[in-house]
Amino acid sequence: MIITPEKLKKWLDNDKNFTLLDTRPKNQIKQSPIKELKCIIRPPDSIDQIKGDKVLVCQFGIVTEGMILENDLQNSYSLLGGVQAWNEFIKDKNDLSRWSRQTILEEIGIDGQKKIMKARVAIVGMGGLGCSAATSLVAAGIGTLNIIDGDTVDLSNLHRQHLYQAGDIGKEKVSVAKRALENISSHTKINSFNNFLNQSNAKSCFENIDLIIDATDNIVSRQIIDKVSKDKNLPMIYGSLYKFEGQVGVFNTESKIGYAELFPNNISGGETCEEAGVIGMLPTIIGNMQAFEAIKLILNLEPNLIGKLLIYDSLHHTTEVIEL
Amino acid sequence: MIKIRLKCFSQVKYALGKNEIIFELENGASTDDLEKIVRKKAEGKLNDVALSTALNKKYISKNTELEDGDEVAFIPPVQGG
Repeated sequence: MIITPEKLKKWLDNDKNFTLLDTRPKNQIKQSPIKELKCIIRPPDSIDQIKGDKVLVCQFGIVTEGMILENDLQNSYSLLGGVQAWNEFIKDKNDLSRWSRQTILEEIGIDGQKKIMKARVAIVGMGGLGCSAATSLVAAGIGTLNIIDGDTVDLSNLHRQHLYQAGDIGKEKVSVAKRALENISSHTKINSFNNFLNQSNAKSCFENIDLIIDATDNIVSRQIIDKVSKDKNLPMIYGSLYKFEGQVGVFNTESKIGYAELFPNNISGGETCEEAGVIGMLPTIIGNMQAFEAIKLILNLEPNLIGKLLIYDSLHHTTEVIEL
Repeated sequence: MIKIRLKCFSQVKYALGKNEIIFELENGASTDDLEKIVRKKAEGKLNDVALSTALNKKYISKNTELEDGDEVAFIPPVQGG
């Protein structure tokens, strides 16, 4: 069983009777003391002798979860996110334990999670790419998400657009998606725009936004995104699909090459997913790659796809990266 | 003669039916020359498709003379989402 920092604080405030055990090695306890908690320091092999409810604490909440499972410890709770999440909760009453599996990563940490939670992302197109990117970003704790699409849910969408269900057919995609995303996490502020992107509404859709995810299904919308991205100096995370193949790239940041430079001609670009067909798993992969590139931009993580075009062949599981 | 490896993606792959093709070209042949050969080989299937060019995994915007062993990819825009 686990307990969040927020719930543990309630137990303390309500004077609940339980034993708090710090299972960490002494040097780690010294290096990273736990704030405002008095714990008994006890070696793991003697924990099962303690009667009543126990809360086990380690640095990130992973060791204690394993300890409870492996030793079949009864009435025992692992503090989710460990000392890292608890200390952060004490500092500013912000319970980040939900994201403890990513804050444990050195590349993210508590500071990175806070950046993610302040970041504002727009997703144009709530089809296969958009549903996947939005789901992952909301789960990751993104601060604000603008979702833009004027379409309604169709039966043929359901094999790849997993925010929608059969009962949603005929409903506005953004309304259904907003509700589904809010069910994943209430931490993200979701603004829905029930319109297709055009020249006149683009500026309002991208107001107070840090980056744009291009999850559209047509070249004209991509050209509009590219232009606004350049005008407003917002990175454009491009994604597109053809049958079993996907393209991903990060345009208009550092590199001068954007969509218009990569595909400069008066292009037709082949068929849409409706015309050419697409395997249902592919938008999930490519949409998640776009979401991950968004996180990398927010955290300034390298390597990334800035100024590159990645082409993924899902049949052969091969990738090609082109420098732009 | 020079040997050039063509890597095929998206519509090019479907039009030519292969992931990769080795072409033997005359010395001095360029990326535009290769594109003409590819379009002809596609028998009209790429007529309406604009192609961007990558030479040795780097995008190029101008016609470029090829060298023996070069790798070329013609990248079509795709629009599914």
